Amino acid sequence: MASSQTLLRSGPPGGPATPPAGLARRAKRPVFLIAASCLVAALLATPLVFLLFEAQGAGASAVAHLIFRSLTASLLWNTIRLTIVVTALCTVIGTGAAWCIERTNLPGKRVWEILIVVPLAIPDFVVSFGWASLWTWVQGFRGAVVVMTLAVYPLVYLPVAASFRAADPGQEEVARSLGVGRLRTFTRITLAQARGAILGGCVLVAMVMLAEYGAFEILGYQTFTTEIFGEFSLSFSVPAACALSLVLVALSLLVLGGEGIAARGRGRVSRSGPLVARNLPPRRLGKATLPVLACFAALVVLALGVPVGSSIYWIFQGGAHAISGVTVPTAALTTAGYGIGAAAVDTVLALPLAMLAVRGTGRIRHLLERSTYLVLAMPGVVAAFALSYFTEHYANGFGYQSAPLLILCYAIMFFPLALVGVKASLARAPASLDDMARSLGQRRLAVLLRVTLRLALPGLAAAFCLVFLSVVTELTATLLLIPTGAQTLSTQFWAYESNLSYGQAAPFALVMIAIAALPSYVLGRFFNRSGNAEGITIT
Amino acid sequence: MTQLAVTGLTKAFGGRPVLTDVDLDVPEGSLTAILGPSGSGKTTLLRIIVGFEHADGGTVTLGGAVVDGPGAHVPAERRRVGYVPQEGCLFPHLTVAANVGFGLPRPERRTQAIGDLLDAVGLAGLGGRYPHQLSGGQQQRVALARALAIKPSLVLLDEPFGSLDANLRATIRADVKRLLAEAGATAVLVTHDQDEALSTADRVAVLRDGIVAQCAAPMDLYTMPADPELARFIGDANLVDGILGDGSVETILGPLPVQSSGRASLNPGPVTVLVRPEQIDIAAKNGTHGLDGRIVAYGYHGHDAVVHVVPELEPGLPAIVVRTLGGCRLPAGSPVTLHARGPVLAWQR
Repeated sequence: MASSQTLLRSGPPGGPATPPAGLARRAKRPVFLIAASCLVAALLATPLVFLLFEAQGAGASAVAHLIFRSLTASLLWNTIRLTIVVTALCTVIGTGAAWCIERTNLPGKRVWEILIVVPLAIPDFVVSFGWASLWTWVQGFRGAVVVMTLAVYPLVYLPVAASFRAADPGQEEVARSLGVGRLRTFTRITLAQARGAILGGCVLVAMVMLAEYGAFEILGYQTFTTEIFGEFSLSFSVPAACALSLVLVALSLLVLGGEGIAARGRGRVSRSGPLVARNLPPRRLGKATLPVLACFAALVVLALGVPVGSSIYWIFQGGAHAISGVTVPTAALTTAGYGIGAAAVDTVLALPLAMLAVRGTGRIRHLLERSTYLVLAMPGVVAAFALSYFTEHYANGFGYQSAPLLILCYAIMFFPLALVGVKASLARAPASLDDMARSLGQRRLAVLLRVTLRLALPGLAAAFCLVFLSVVTELTATLLLIPTGAQTLSTQFWAYESNLSYGQAAPFALVMIAIAALPSYVLGRFFNRSGNAEGITIT
Repeated sequence: MTQLAVTGLTKAFGGRPVLTDVDLDVPEGSLTAILGPSGSGKTTLLRIIVGFEHADGGTVTLGGAVVDGPGAHVPAERRRVGYVPQEGCLFPHLTVAANVGFGLPRPERRTQAIGDLLDAVGLAGLGGRYPHQLSGGQQQRVALARALAIKPSLVLLDEPFGSLDANLRATIRADVKRLLAEAGATAVLVTHDQDEALSTADRVAVLRDGIVAQCAAPMDLYTMPADPELARFIGDANLVDGILGDGSVETILGPLPVQSSGRASLNPGPVTVLVRPEQIDIAAKNGTHGLDGRIVAYGYHGHDAVVHVVPELEPGLPAIVVRTLGGCRLPAGSPVTLHARGPVLAWQR
């Protein structure tokens, strides 16, 4: 037994004559964490600040004049009608597919589960290219609806499927036992449980609609993003680009704010009582089996088969207008460099905020975390435009069209992704384990290394990959900010595609799909697993 | 010698006082239980002793050294206080052996000492497993071994048996008591289960309204609670009104002798009297001298039965609780006669 001597040896330094009681005894505020988080939040806000700064420079009345003109109205109409139609279609497809896979005895579930998520990994502009290069009717509004629905429905499918998995199956049984019919149970319980997830998915879809550039450019469909891109990089009309950017940011804020209000306190997934690995017996599809299978097959052919098949077709077909460009390996190397840079920066930047979010309490934490959501309201084109113009005209060209600036832009754009991943990973290392380690005599640094980071490691790697993959398939900001002479996979693809050199563009498309698809699948599995409340298993 | 001394400890969270003035002495080598209802601040007190929380006022002394007091706060990692939390809190990424060796300097982490400890807690050969491969009881044993590995000056157990089922709980409780005794460890056990506190600990401190209401050996606590409220908290209690006379007290159950220890401070007059349910005998109404009543409720527990009896002449009074060994074979509604046996405890009313 350790006696008092042992204790004294490792015991307290100094006597009672130490600092004033009130100060010394209050638990330490995580000052360092808060300061670091503030810095990160400030960094994330730079594009928005630059944008406002530039709008100021262009003259408030000029900008106002540019906002209130008929072009804005027609862009608004284009953006809104497309967003509504695609969101509605995605909701139906995503929710329906999720229900069939999670709650019925659909044959081949495990295969479908993978196949219908893979399209998420295909860049939207590649889907667009796959369709538009084969059929001329895929143009304008009609084309945009087809292409975007097929490209983004997994954004609804994934959260809804997760919520079906997490929902308490007992609630449905109770509803049935209370005499509520199957259909009404579905609408009143099943859908109500998934409501938050559906809403969240819809917001993601809407945000993609607002930010997408490449796909719409190929389809000749004019939205705010294509117009901002054109005004800035082709017409060099900065005031016009500024004005449209402001409208676009406002629109994004509207979507995010609307979600915040609509989702408040609703559709929460909760299980009462102990978590047990019990699920409802799957609904039997019976006679509907074949039609449902046909639907799934059709979805996979349209969303996955067409883009991939089209790319393969063009490789063999070749293109009429061969032009020169970098090779796939060269472009891949450049892309990887930017991707690794941005992913590393983001993982590090997300750490303090995630730590505060997971461990801390209080208003500052809430405010800081909230502030980073502002980034979501900055479509890539706006962030890139703001950074590019600012460095060129106000920072004396410092950093203009340099690799660090591009990486910074990526880091800002994809920060929310990294934050989600890092938060999930830190949640796997609860504070009680830290306390435990300290009571066993470990100093804070040792605790961080031996427990916290060690437990968070798989999640940190996942967050890293998430950002990396997003960079690989990014087009808009890359086109605006890429250093002269360099080409990434997406920009080289774009150069060939714009020149109608489909045969040369196709290999780049396939490589991007290949790079993005497999890790996306692995990542999906990881987040599914960590999302489950089954406790931590490390194998 | 006192291993842990807590004096005048206060702690509030967001303006809500949790501990108002806690005093507690834990002698070296003893097992002291802190007993209190949920939300009474037991865990907070424990977390202050380990060093996870800072007290607002008062001092904590470990082995003679102040570890938390005005101007002094020794961080948790320098206190050598073994902590066994409610849910075990094993490190999920480490094997059982690595968990046990976690707090040791690197060269000692792979020695025979770890194996010996695992042996002692009955987990020989399981060192290579991961926590999720263990049952709840096994996880608690690992948590205890891990806390003992650092040769702590004090071991704190925070409701360590709460998550185990009843059968397992009794076994592990006995094992833990034996292990702590073998290690010669001074231990503090926090629990809301009075049965656990009374059967496991050498001394029991009852935490109530932010202060230690009484700290005594289990038997003293049960037979001589400091006030009526404590009497009711520790076990079942009949609190009846009485008039104290010379050496005995007149109650509804007849005249009863008063315990000698408490008698000195009492003045003749109205008092509240504690009659434990096992101090009362019950029989079918037979006309003998005693309290006549009627059975209103009957709870059968196998080894004993708890019978609620309403006095016949004063049905407005609360039912008298009687415990009989083996159960009484009288149906609810039966008329019965009660006989009480002294000595009883009384407080001035």
